[in-house]
Amino acid sequence: MNAITRRTALALTALPLAAPPLIGQTLTKLRVSVIPVLDVAPLHAAIQQGYFAAEGLEIDTSTTAGGATGLPGLVAGQFRLVFSNTVSILLGIREGLDFRFVAGASAGTASPPDIFAILTRKGTGIATGKDLEGKRIASNTRNNIVWLRGMAWVEKTGGDWRKVTTVEVPFPQMADALAGGQVDAAIFSEPFVAGALASHGDRLERIGWPIFETAPGSTVAQYVAMKEDLERNGEVFERFARALFKGVDWVTPRRADPALLDLIAAFSRVPVERLRQVALPTYPKAVTPAEVQEIITTMSRYGMGGRFPAPASLIFRTANA
Amino acid sequence: MRMAMRPSSGAWLILGLLLLWEVSARLDWMHTPNWPPLSTVLAALLHDVFSGELPVLVGGTLWRMFSGLLAGGAAGVIVGLLFATLPITSRLFGLTIELIRPIPIPAVIPPLVLFLGLDNTMKVTVVALTAFFPVLTNTMQGVRAVEADALAMGRTFGIGFWRRAVHIILPACLPYIFAGFRVALALALVVTVVAEMIAGEQGVGHYLVLMQFAGRAPEMYATVIVLAVLGYALNRGFLAFERRTIHWYFALGRMAD
Repeated sequence: MNAITRRTALALTALPLAAPPLIGQTLTKLRVSVIPVLDVAPLHAAIQQGYFAAEGLEIDTSTTAGGATGLPGLVAGQFRLVFSNTVSILLGIREGLDFRFVAGASAGTASPPDIFAILTRKGTGIATGKDLEGKRIASNTRNNIVWLRGMAWVEKTGGDWRKVTTVEVPFPQMADALAGGQVDAAIFSEPFVAGALASHGDRLERIGWPIFETAPGSTVAQYVAMKEDLERNGEVFERFARALFKGVDWVTPRRADPALLDLIAAFSRVPVERLRQVALPTYPKAVTPAEVQEIITTMSRYGMGGRFPAPASLIFRTANA
Repeated sequence: MRMAMRPSSGAWLILGLLLLWEVSARLDWMHTPNWPPLSTVLAALLHDVFSGELPVLVGGTLWRMFSGLLAGGAAGVIVGLLFATLPITSRLFGLTIELIRPIPIPAVIPPLVLFLGLDNTMKVTVVALTAFFPVLTNTMQGVRAVEADALAMGRTFGIGFWRRAVHIILPACLPYIFAGFRVALALALVVTVVAEMIAGEQGVGHYLVLMQFAGRAPEMYATVIVLAVLGYALNRGFLAFERRTIHWYFALGRMAD
């Protein structure tokens, strides 16, 4: 009795210091913007396994298939955290938005099969970036990581990226656009690579791995938050990162486990049979200054240069792990 | 059912088109798995309906649509009556409204997210904004069409502004207001779904995009069918409601429908 009252009294005095109270049932709500892709599997694993709840957090995911409202929503205070690709994040930072990396999310694989692939129609004789000069290549949007790696691949295989016309085609329509001849090649990301080869395998073929052939295992996406929020509530984000990393530890050894595929199928709604053919990304916890610098350097090569802060200053302490 | 029997019925064309859908997909005329046969789509539809997933989503979408429609429509009627009866208000605000009206609503959804968030507030506001304009224009048109005799008679009896507005002008405008609501209803469903497709994790619109990205064409087309049927049913329901509410207008024989 006495001990409890003393603890309660202690907790009450400590309350103003520890902003998000861990005592009792109060869970801190965090709204996280995600895209229903393979990359966010650790987040969903951490939710499912109760890792966030154990840290006193309740994660409310807001899924937007296109991802268009993620970063603007973060600036507007609609979300506390956003999952986004490195190029879009850095473009926002270049424009003066105070995004900071809270955790890594996904990266390319150490060996093929990789998560991005370039596909063409069979029999067109297109095999390199050189062959694509004067032709049309589909990317889901311009100026994101998919497009960046696609252009790097064009260059790497002897082509001039300026001579290749990019056409924006959403991933779900890419295979049809390619098979129908509206474009000559397309930069796919999983699970759409597996989807296209399964449905149009008689007409489409893979000619390249844009990440593996240009910068093997390089970074694709991260979780970011606003600098101001991180400075004020750093402890909340530490709890977020701890739980998320437990999710990574749950996912990483289960890459061939049906339990992981069931988890991904549940949030992405991609049928499990399709997921069995999909290449999964690497799930890094940390964000390193070197990998951010590599993306900045590559962006400058493909017309997205500008003044960026030092990469190390963009990484919040949770991502240094 | 009697309708479907007649050879001139429009239902035959629909049956023909559905048959064409089934055949074209079965024979793979489009060379793509993204054009699934109607039977597969219907199977997916039944599955999603009986799993309870689609009914919940449709309910949410309808709730947002009707909230927006009623809010925007009510505002449209009030502003319309004001504009038409007090010319000063129309001089003050008319230009602003005329400038806002032509803006395509989907274009303002991303900036609206900044102010209103991603959830119901934003979506209902967007629908209300959509419903407002057709109701407003029709109400104003209706006020102008009120018969001078009716107004003169009111004046003869010496009734005041408010009673005149509520008892003479409003009932006389009702057919016009209803016409405005009917246009707004069709727009409201479209805009609700578009808003759901762009942002947030709610309703039929989000489900449609999710299924598209998951590569599940049958579920996606099932949702499209649901929307088509929903739109049709809403319009029929509205017409029935209109006939009940302003039966006197139809009794006058002004509408040959």
